[in-house]
Amino acid sequence: MKKSASFVIGMSLLLAVSTLTGCKSLKKNPAGVYGSDGLYGNGANGSLGMGDRFTGGTEHPGMFAPVYFDYDSAQVADSERSKIETVAQHLKQNDSVAVIIEGNCDERGSNEYNLTLGERRAQAVRAYLAGLGIGADRIQTKSYGEEKPVNPGHDEAAWAANRRGEFVLYY
Amino acid sequence: MKKLILFTLSIVISASFSQAQVRVVKSADRKITIDLSGLRTAGDSASQTFSQTLEKDLRLSGWFDPVRGGGELRLNGTAAPSGGELKAGGQVFRLNDQAMLFSKNYNGQPRAIAHRMADDIVEAVTGHKGFASMRIVLVGNRTGKKELYLCDGDGGGLRQLTGEGHIAIAPDWGPDGNTIIYTSYMRNFPDICRIDLNKSRREALASYGGLNTGSSISPDGKDLALILSKDGNPELYIKNIRSGKLTRLTNTPRAAEASPDWSPDGSRLVYASDQSGTGKPQLYIISREGGTPRRISSRGTENIAPDWGPNGLIACASRTGGHYAIAVIQPSSGQTSYLVSDGADYEDPSWAPDGRHIVAARSVNYQSSIYLLDTVSDRPVALLQGSGGWYSPACSPQ
Repeated sequence: MKKSASFVIGMSLLLAVSTLTGCKSLKKNPAGVYGSDGLYGNGANGSLGMGDRFTGGTEHPGMFAPVYFDYDSAQVADSERSKIETVAQHLKQNDSVAVIIEGNCDERGSNEYNLTLGERRAQAVRAYLAGLGIGADRIQTKSYGEEKPVNPGHDEAAWAANRRGEFVLYY
Repeated sequence: MKKLILFTLSIVISASFSQAQVRVVKSADRKITIDLSGLRTAGDSASQTFSQTLEKDLRLSGWFDPVRGGGELRLNGTAAPSGGELKAGGQVFRLNDQAMLFSKNYNGQPRAIAHRMADDIVEAVTGHKGFASMRIVLVGNRTGKKELYLCDGDGGGLRQLTGEGHIAIAPDWGPDGNTIIYTSYMRNFPDICRIDLNKSRREALASYGGLNTGSSISPDGKDLALILSKDGNPELYIKNIRSGKLTRLTNTPRAAEASPDWSPDGSRLVYASDQSGTGKPQLYIISREGGTPRRISSRGTENIAPDWGPNGLIACASRTGGHYAIAVIQPSSGQTSYLVSDGADYEDPSWAPDGRHIVAARSVNYQSSIYLLDTVSDRPVALLQGSGGWYSPACSPQ
């Protein structure tokens, strides 16, 4: 957390974060499972539990090209796979580097539903990375839903640019 | 005290061959005229605020047509400043038999006591709850960031609640009316946080890896329904707030869940899920104990953002004819009625505590504002518009 926050209704707050940790044991995902049988391709997630959030490092966005998605889809298109493979290569060569995948949607649909759709997009990229042999404990997801468009327009081109998964390296 | 009229929400079904049509109508579908010329207020701004607020509240309640002279009812009353506050009060008489239906005095801030008096008059005359005293929590972006705001039931009294400078979205009320839960990116990831309005205090209720959102507190205040992706995919869970114990309710590896809301008795949840395989979310009901969900939305290409009202009816945003409209679904029968279709998109409905009105976001040309919708008769009324976009309103429970 880089920024501190102020709170209009008064008190400065120490988030009394009863840090509610998620499940720590990650199910091992054998390399190639997702890549070979297309599990990621049919949109099935759910076997790769998330660990605790990363702490102690810094986010480094914009180092890799985003993965784009079709409308209402959380499937990684064939044409986008090489982008994920490039990131996997970098992670393999840099053991101490982790990655946060940010899932984003276009503005159509409800905000809350788009949060879950953005998360599914990020999880699909995560599963593909894991299938390429990157440890699931090195990959976190963050959905922004429709809250963080790169293109503020309201047309097909803007929507296509906004339906994306972005790679943010963490070290 | 004799009630002027009886009000029932009766569902009238006129089946056509193509689709069942459900209309919500009032058995006595007319306004009660109330003469406000007997309300004598001092000339100061607080007294003026009081009388203007009271008149608007009576009109927004859906029951009254305020008039000057004539009318079935007459309000006699006064309002004047007294020691930094306003002192106001009045009586409502029925003209045909001079029966006094209401008499009460108030002390306090002008807008607050006008809201209370309006609700008391609605209840005294009709036997039904009003909504003038409710508060609305909503999202606004006028600072350039999405923050939470509060306003009164008439859209007035707007004040900013959070100043996080990140993203604060998806607010809802705790059942006590003193807490707000919402999704906050203040710590960089989407967490579920709770604000105690009385103590001006905030705490995180869920900050697992991945997504934490869609929170709704059970009617008894003990449990939190929420959407988590900590197990690798967005799923619906219940978290006991005191013990922290988590119960997972859904298992949909090819779909995502969103927007859970509790039934009034706390035994069930309604939520949106795209598990239908169409890629479009629909509404489902599941027992709080888990089990097989039952789909309840049948009309519209997608149905999202359900709100289970105190009247037992579920409001949602339903996509039909290229727009989102507010639909009301009877959970037992699945019968569905659409409220308005005026070419705008209506989203994120929230039942007002009177069980008659719905507050929703209305957007035209990507400009979103907050509107009051009447399930009985009145046309939509703008509560809050301009100064940026306004989204995701939620009405306080009382």
